[in-house]
Amino acid sequence: MLGLGLPQRPPLVEETLKRIQSHKGVIGTMVVNAEGIPIRTTLDNSTTVQYAGLLHQLTMKARSTVRDIDPQNDLTFLRIRSKKHEIMVAPDKEYLLIVIQNPCE
Amino acid sequence: GRGWPTTPQPVATMPVSPVNSRKQQNLWLSVGPQPKKSISFTNTVKGGQTKGYLGANQSRMAMSKTLMVLPEIKTEKMNIPTVRTPIQVINALGVDVTPRPLYQQDPHMGTAKPNKLFTSQEGSYGSEYISSYSLYQNTINPSMLGQFTRSVLGSSTVSKSSVSTTDSIAEDLEEPSYRREKLTSFTDLRVMRATPEKIVTKEDLQKTIEIILTETETLRFFNLPTVMVSVESEEAAKVIRRNRTYETLCRNRLGNDLYVERMMQTINGAPKNKEVQCDKIVKEDKGIMSSTWDLYDSYNAMELSSLPTKQSMLESNTKASIVSKDHEPRVPGSTIEKNSEASSLMDIENVILTKIHDDEEDRSESIMKSDKFRQDLFFMERVLMENLFQPKLAAYRQLPVLKEPEPEEPEDFLEGEKLEQETEEEVKKEEEEEIEISTEQSTIPANLERLWSFSCDLTKGLNVSSLAWNKTNPDLLAVGYGHFGFKEQKRGLACCWSIKNPMWPERIYQSPYGVTAVDFSIGAPNLLAVGYHNGNIAIYNVQSNSNVPVLDSSESPQKHLGPVWQLQWIEQDRGTTGDDKREILVSISADGRISKWVIRKGLDCHDLMRLRRTTTSNSKRGGEKEKKGEALISRQAPGMCFAFHPKDTNIYLAGTEEGHIHKCSCSYNEQYLDTYRGHKGPVYKIAWNPFCHDVFLSCSADWGVIIWQQESTTPFLSFYPTTYVVYDVAWSPKSSYIFAAANESRVEIWDLHVSTLDPLIVNVANPGIKFTTVLFAKQTDCLLVGDSDGQVAVYELRNMPTTLDSGRGDIINTLLGPKPNR
Repeated sequence: MLGLGLPQRPPLVEETLKRIQSHKGVIGTMVVNAEGIPIRTTLDNSTTVQYAGLLHQLTMKARSTVRDIDPQNDLTFLRIRSKKHEIMVAPDKEYLLIVIQNPCE
Repeated sequence: GRGWPTTPQPVATMPVSPVNSRKQQNLWLSVGPQPKKSISFTNTVKGGQTKGYLGANQSRMAMSKTLMVLPEIKTEKMNIPTVRTPIQVINALGVDVTPRPLYQQDPHMGTAKPNKLFTSQEGSYGSEYISSYSLYQNTINPSMLGQFTRSVLGSSTVSKSSVSTTDSIAEDLEEPSYRREKLTSFTDLRVMRATPEKIVTKEDLQKTIEIILTETETLRFFNLPTVMVSVESEEAAKVIRRNRTYETLCRNRLGNDLYVERMMQTINGAPKNKEVQCDKIVKEDKGIMSSTWDLYDSYNAMELSSLPTKQSMLESNTKASIVSKDHEPRVPGSTIEKNSEASSLMDIENVILTKIHDDEEDRSESIMKSDKFRQDLFFMERVLMENLFQPKLAAYRQLPVLKEPEPEEPEDFLEGEKLEQETEEEVKKEEEEEIEISTEQSTIPANLERLWSFSCDLTKGLNVSSLAWNKTNPDLLAVGYGHFGFKEQKRGLACCWSIKNPMWPERIYQSPYGVTAVDFSIGAPNLLAVGYHNGNIAIYNVQSNSNVPVLDSSESPQKHLGPVWQLQWIEQDRGTTGDDKREILVSISADGRISKWVIRKGLDCHDLMRLRRTTTSNSKRGGEKEKKGEALISRQAPGMCFAFHPKDTNIYLAGTEEGHIHKCSCSYNEQYLDTYRGHKGPVYKIAWNPFCHDVFLSCSADWGVIIWQQESTTPFLSFYPTTYVVYDVAWSPKSSYIFAAANESRVEIWDLHVSTLDPLIVNVANPGIKFTTVLFAKQTDCLLVGDSDGQVAVYELRNMPTTLDSGRGDIINTLLGPKPNR
C-alpha cells in the first residue's frame, strides 16, 4: 500500500549524473572510457578529448605513485585544485569520471 | 610384447653362409632391445674387411669367411636395380618421425658411390659405421644386414635411416634392391609392432582387452663396485694384502723386465660435421616497465586464479604504458580483484569484464550501468557538496573554517568569522574575571547562524513533521514529511539525509499518507520506523536501496486507527522475564492507545496503555468514573506524545489531546500513576531533562511551554511567549538549562540560567513558514529546525553562554533559589 500509484523514479545512475551536472559551479562533467572516447560529456568534443588524454596520463602516474609506495593500496580519487577551478577525477580501469567545478561561484 | 627377446645376449656366432642367415635372424634380433642405435654396432657382426681401418671393429662374430663371398655378392647386388620401398620411422609414441633425406640419390648413379663414400668417410665419425655397414651389405648374409639395419636403427620397425647418412649410403651402396628384398621379407617377418591399419572403432574401445603384466628379469644396467672397504670387514685383511702386493709391484716395475712400455695407436673416431637447415627463428623484443605494484599484481593474480587473469593483467599493464593502443579483446570471465587497504568501497569487482566485446557502444553502456560507476558518482556528488558547503560543514563540525584565498569572499562569511574571533577573545577575558558569563557583557549576543538547509524539489511544500538522528551514524538524519491537520493531508515522504550531501536525500520513501513520526532503532541502526497519518507503521531498512518496507503494520489487526503521533524505540530491561535488553517500538496514536511493537516474525503489537479520558473539573486521578450528565463521545483520549524516563524505562509520560500528562508504568496498562494537569490544549511534546531526571518539559497548543517537576502535578514554570501554537520543544544535550521551542512563527532558545522570562535567542520565521520541529545535534552546537515548507534548516548556536559544570542536576534549586515548598 505504500508506493503504489506513485511515479517510477528514473534509474539512479542517470539521476545522479544529472544532478551532478546541474550543481552550482559545475563547469563540465565527463565520462570517458579507457581509450579516451567520451561516453557522456557536457563539454565539446575537443575539450573532452584533451581533458581525457591529459588526465588519463596523470591518473596513471598518480596510481603508479600510490602503488609503488604500497602495492596493496590503490588510487580512488584525484582532485586538482587550481586557481580557477577544481578538477575531480574518479578513475577506474574502464573509465574516467571527470567533473570540473568552480567552487567559489 | 614387442616380440624381441628380452634378455640381451651376446651376439652369437655368426653363420658363415648366407643360407643360414635366416635362421639366425632371431639371434640377431636379440641385439635389438638395446634402445641405443649405436650400441648395436659394437654388438653386431663385424667381420673381416677389405679395408684396414675397420680392424677395430672386430666383433666376436667370425665373419671372415663371408668375405670370400664378397665379390660375388657385390656384383650381384650391383645389378639389381633399386627398388625403393618407403620405410617409416615411428618412435615409441607412434609419431611418424621419418627423416626426410637431404640427398636424393639418383638410382642409376649408384655404382660409383660406394667407393667415393668409402674414401670420403675417412676420418669421419661415421666412417666406422658406414664402412661396417657397407661391409655388411657386401656380405653374403643378408640376414645380418637386415638384422643389423633393424637393430641399428632401434625399434621394431625397419627404419631406413635414423641417421640420414645411412640413407644416402643405403642408396649409394649397390645392394639396395638386394638388401631391400631381404628387408622386405624381413619386414614381413620382423616387424612385430606395426602401425595398426584398421581403424579403431567404438566397439573396439569398449572391448575389454586383457593385459597381462609380468615381471621381467632383473636387468642390471650398471654396477660400480666399491673401491673402499671397511677396516673391520672380513675382506679387510685380503684387501690390505692385495694393496701391499700392488705397492711392491709398482715399486718393482721400474726397471723390471716384465714391464715394457710400448706404444699403441688407437683409432680415433672421425668426427663429422653435420649441418641442418631450419626456418629462421623470429625474435621479438618486448619491454615493459616493471614497478613494485606491477610485480605485486602479477603474483597476486597468479595466486588467485589461472592464466586468463594474468593475461588480462598483463594486457592492461602493457596497455597502460601505451595510451593510444587499439582496443584489445578482453579475456572472458576474468575478474581482477585488487587488494586495497583504503576504506572506500570503490574496489568492487567489475561486472563488465565478463563480456568480450569489441563493440564500443555496448561497453560504454555497461560502464554506465556498472556498480562501480554508481559508487563513483555517489562519491563525486559528495565531493562536490563538500566543495560547495565546506565552510558550513566545517562550522557544523566545529572545525577551523577554510579561508578561501580569492578576494571574492562572501561578505557575511567574513563577518561571521571576525565576530567569532572577537567574541572568543572577549569570552576569554571574561572567563578570567568570573566563571559566570552573562550575555550582556559580550558585545555580540547569542544567535543562531543559519548554515544550510536540507531541501530539494521533492520536499518542497511539504510539512516537516518529525526529525530523528541515527543512533550510530551521527551524520544521518531521518526526516518525516506530513501535514498535521486532517484537511491538509497530502502525500507523505520519509527521507534519510546525510550531512555530507545537503542537496539530495540518500533515501526516499514515498507514501500516499503523511508521515507523522520517524525514529531510528538503537540496536539495529539500519532500521527506520515510520508512522503514518493513517495509523500505519512501517519499518524500513536503510541499508538497502529498496523502497519497500521490511515490515508493515497495515495488515496487523491491532494497528492504529488514528495518526501515529510519535514513535520511539526503547531498550527495555526485561529483567523479570530473564531476557536481555530487548528493543521494542512504542507508538502513541490518536486512537488513544500506546502500543508496544515487537519484531518477531512480523510486527506483534501489545497495548501498553489505553488512554482514557479524565474529567478535569474534579481533580480525580485515573478517573474511570464519569461525571454524570456528561456524555462523552468516546472514552478514549487521543494520545499525542510520550516520553520514557531516561533512567527507568518502565516509567513514561504520555500527553493527550485533553492537555493532561499522565505518568504511566509499563506494568500497569489500566491505571495512571499520576496525572499532571496544566495545559489547556493538546500536549504536543514532552521531554525529560537529560541531566536532571526529575524535570521534564512539555509544550502544547495552548501557546505554552511548561516545566514540571516529577513529584508535583502542578507546573513548575510556564512560558507563554507568543500567541502561537508551540509544536515542539527539546532540551539541549549540553546544558540542563537550555531548551529550544518551535512555535509557528519563531524558534526560541531559552536559557533558564540566564532568564526565565525571555528566551535567549529568537529566530523569526519567514512569513508563511511555520516552524514545526526542532532537534538538537548531539556533538555539535547546532540545531535543526524543520518548517512547513519542507526545509530542515541547520543553525549553529553561536556565542552561547558557557555551560556550568556544576549544578546540572540541581536545576530546580538553582532556579528556585531558596527552596520553596511547592
